[in-house]
Amino acid sequence: MDNMAIYIDISKCTACRSCQVACKNWNQLKAEQTQNRGSHENPPDLSVQTWNRIRWIENHKNGKISWTFFSDRCRHCDPPDCKYIADTFVEGAVIKDSSGAVLFTEKIKDIDPDEILSACPYNIPRFDEATRMFFKCSFCSDRIPYGLPPACVKACSTGALNFGEKAKMLQLARDRIKQLANDAVLYPGEEYNTFWVLPDKGLLQSI
Amino acid sequence: MTNHWIDLANSDCILAMGSNPVKNHPISFKWMMKAVDRGATLISVDPRYTRTSAKAHLYAPLRSGSDIAFLGGMIRYILENNLYFEEYVREYTNAPFLINPDFQLTAENDGIFSGFIGTKTDEGYVDGKYDKTSWSYQKDANGAVLKDPTLKNKNCVFQLLKKHYSRYTPEVVSQVTGTPLDKLMPVYEAYSKTGRPDKSGTVMYAMGWTQHTVGTQNIRAMCIIQLLLGNMGMAGGGVNALRGESNVQGSTDHGLLYHILPGYLKTPKASQQNYADYVTASTPVSSDPMSANWWQNYPKYSASLLREFFGPEVPLADAYTLLPKMEDADNYSWLMIFDKLYQNKISGLLAWGQNPACSGANANKTRQAMTNLDWLVNVNLFDNETGSFWKGPGMDPEKIKTEVFMLPCAVSFEKEGSLSNSGRWMQWRYKASEPPGDARSDADIMSDLFCQIRKLYQKKGGAFPDPILKLKWNYGPEEDNGRLRHIDPHRVAKEINGYFLEDKIIGGKQYNKGTLVPSFLLLQDDGSTSSGNWLYCNSYTEEGNMAARRNKSDPSRIGLYSGWAWSWPLNRRIIYNRASVDKNGKPWAPEKPVIEWHLNVWRGDVPDGPWPPLSKGEKSRHPFIMLPEGLGKIFGPGLADGPFPEHYEPLESPLEKNPLSPQFVNPALKRYDRGGDGDQMNLRASFNPKFPFVCTTYRLGEHWQTGVMTRWTPWLAELEPAMFVEIGEVLAKELGISNGETVIVESARGALEAVAIVTIRWEPFTVMGKTIHQVGVPWHYGWATTAERNYHAKDKKPEIFTFGDTSNLLTPNIGDANTMIPESKCFMVNVKKKA
Repeated sequence: MDNMAIYIDISKCTACRSCQVACKNWNQLKAEQTQNRGSHENPPDLSVQTWNRIRWIENHKNGKISWTFFSDRCRHCDPPDCKYIADTFVEGAVIKDSSGAVLFTEKIKDIDPDEILSACPYNIPRFDEATRMFFKCSFCSDRIPYGLPPACVKACSTGALNFGEKAKMLQLARDRIKQLANDAVLYPGEEYNTFWVLPDKGLLQSI
Repeated sequence: MTNHWIDLANSDCILAMGSNPVKNHPISFKWMMKAVDRGATLISVDPRYTRTSAKAHLYAPLRSGSDIAFLGGMIRYILENNLYFEEYVREYTNAPFLINPDFQLTAENDGIFSGFIGTKTDEGYVDGKYDKTSWSYQKDANGAVLKDPTLKNKNCVFQLLKKHYSRYTPEVVSQVTGTPLDKLMPVYEAYSKTGRPDKSGTVMYAMGWTQHTVGTQNIRAMCIIQLLLGNMGMAGGGVNALRGESNVQGSTDHGLLYHILPGYLKTPKASQQNYADYVTASTPVSSDPMSANWWQNYPKYSASLLREFFGPEVPLADAYTLLPKMEDADNYSWLMIFDKLYQNKISGLLAWGQNPACSGANANKTRQAMTNLDWLVNVNLFDNETGSFWKGPGMDPEKIKTEVFMLPCAVSFEKEGSLSNSGRWMQWRYKASEPPGDARSDADIMSDLFCQIRKLYQKKGGAFPDPILKLKWNYGPEEDNGRLRHIDPHRVAKEINGYFLEDKIIGGKQYNKGTLVPSFLLLQDDGSTSSGNWLYCNSYTEEGNMAARRNKSDPSRIGLYSGWAWSWPLNRRIIYNRASVDKNGKPWAPEKPVIEWHLNVWRGDVPDGPWPPLSKGEKSRHPFIMLPEGLGKIFGPGLADGPFPEHYEPLESPLEKNPLSPQFVNPALKRYDRGGDGDQMNLRASFNPKFPFVCTTYRLGEHWQTGVMTRWTPWLAELEPAMFVEIGEVLAKELGISNGETVIVESARGALEAVAIVTIRWEPFTVMGKTIHQVGVPWHYGWATTAERNYHAKDKKPEIFTFGDTSNLLTPNIGDANTMIPESKCFMVNVKKKA
């Protein structure tokens, strides 16, 4: 199970949010007391208890409405900036394991949290004052060694979420981009173990 | 569904109208995508831009309550442009039938069809019903229907249809529905392309079509389109109802509704005091030797059902007298029950697996009605707004006499049994864990209740004890006192399938007493067989439990998966499939054949009967075997409110007049709002400046029904924690309402607090030159899980609070003329800032 990837085809995402719930279920994350703030999006942000969150993007262009859904989570960068920064303080506080997962270890408690927070270009990790730990998508690294896909992928009914060897996932993504044609793009790029196909590059501004 | 979920993948054009499947039936999208990958067009027609719209090739908005105008326009478009499948229409439908010359269309009869009996008031015809004498076929001296195969006779169904919908021009439709012409016409064009013999189009509909005063006629309009385009019986075709519960199909099949017994047999009426009268009245006769007229087998199914209820010792004629009878003119639907309760004519209520205080239309009336109860038994997973109605908003517990009993029951995963899905698949499932605490399966609770009642009747007698005392109750291992230790779901399933009660030789083959009947073809009218539901006969046979089959192979290549579970009837996956082939038995669509006549046998799906194709003459049968005509009904005299659908305005409309007719609303409605000024519980406000906005209701994927299960599930409650109202940007600006603000939504019947979601997805409509705004509310909320309510010491608090009460505080208690389903999808409201 080396160099695996999660590939997310957002043209197939319906925002059923099974992945969001499956993440909480597998990782036993608590529900948050939310409010409706004039949106279907909830919880309002990634948090210690929420590692994967669907964002709803409404657009109105040339008299046509569009509505797309983006599962926001750790990109599992390869190489990860957070590890690069962490390594300058404590070796092994952030590791990139063979499956491709970016994982935080107990050693991260010894690093100034602001250093980690500012290291992530995507504003993903969330700091927990109580435990002095960071929390984010773990790539379900406790499932992968057993041959199980990440919980979110398992729960996806539409084929929006896919998991497999990175080379295969990249090929699927490239094929899908060709099929969707026009403005479809790979996001954030190839040097990641979690990547997305966006059906319209205009969406880059909204992510 | 005439077809099934996987079959969506075979479609060339999918119309999602009156439904939002991508959100509410999420797995269906998997199959819709497969169709799209094959090149199918996906169309979404909905008042607001939904998640289905987001995935569709074409989106057309329409004002809630104007579906018949929209579909009537499509019928006209198909006819005017000769896009119908001519051979199919001529051979497989009643289009050539000549209709009684006394029959009058609405346009020539003051907005109503001929035969109306009722009164005319200043708002048009009301409180009526139709004498259907003129809604009949012309027949010759031998009783054979007169037909014109050229479809030109002015009295033939085809010409009447053309005439009726000639008024539904695109311009008029656009004016009535608010659908801009440039969005309307592409839908008509795309869908009509499925009139080609080798193409098929399908419709996915749900409560968006049914919950109207013209709900049944909405679906009838689509049936007409499907018959005109030759889409019935085809792979990727059909008329497909998306059920709102995992087993709503099963519960309907097994007689949940008041007017039917299991297997869609009829509930006896008071005027049918003996079995012979009942059977004669229920069994249709056809003079056409080519009509299978399948319901001619009615006596076999009713006799087998009586045997299952009362066993072989009670003669059939006596057994029939033990069945409850309905008063001929009465109606026992939901709205009527709660109206009776409100009028203090009912003293006890078993609220079983439901939450009427939130789920019933006009919730204020429902909740008020409950205060008249002496007792209420709430059988549910959790306490809910029904069991606790006496401490709900506006209630004074001191003044309420009702004694409430809570019986906790098991959730589906805590019991074994079967579910029948929308596609008619009966699928067996197993118990995953034991129910917690005192909770028990519904069947066990019901069994104990029955045994206890029987004991009381045995001891004390009573007015009419026989229906209870003679009822056969052999669904599980018996204890000495006659009580069952528990219900065995396999025994129930076998009883539903049915047994031979005597040794029997049929067609030269011996069947032994006590064995399971292999198919409903072998059920008998003489009492020698039993079957709890003839439609399910073949589901549990001597070969085993068909519903538990899990074969994943698909030799059909059109996704029938005939070895997976079991589908009624007789494991037929696509019904009316004889209409998918031509007269020689060759599939209209050779790329996706459902059945095919090959070397003198049918291959493919289980055909609708064994008869050879129509080219074989008298040995063959017409394709629509359940109808006495044997043909698809374009002219449908069976409904209460007209043989053709006509656009009537919703009971609460933003318009003063019906733009298509002098008649404003459906004249055949049972109206509650006409009781007089003193009645504060049945109010209606149509074309009323106090309630200027159209409102509709819908579901969320995150909550289920009234939310009794999901509001208590923290991971779901956090996703959609609050009642909201979706408002278009233009209207929000006019009202000075900002996104996320708490507002009041108010109808003539009640008010509701909701969070405003201001969205571009809801644009104003231009209807008859006037701007009409529409808003929408979900229905899953209830006061019991809110933070603001009073929690007594013993009350359980939810981990995640929700906000708001049910949208049924707003909805009207007016029902469809045929089904009495409330018009929850279209009513008038006001939206205002919270003071």
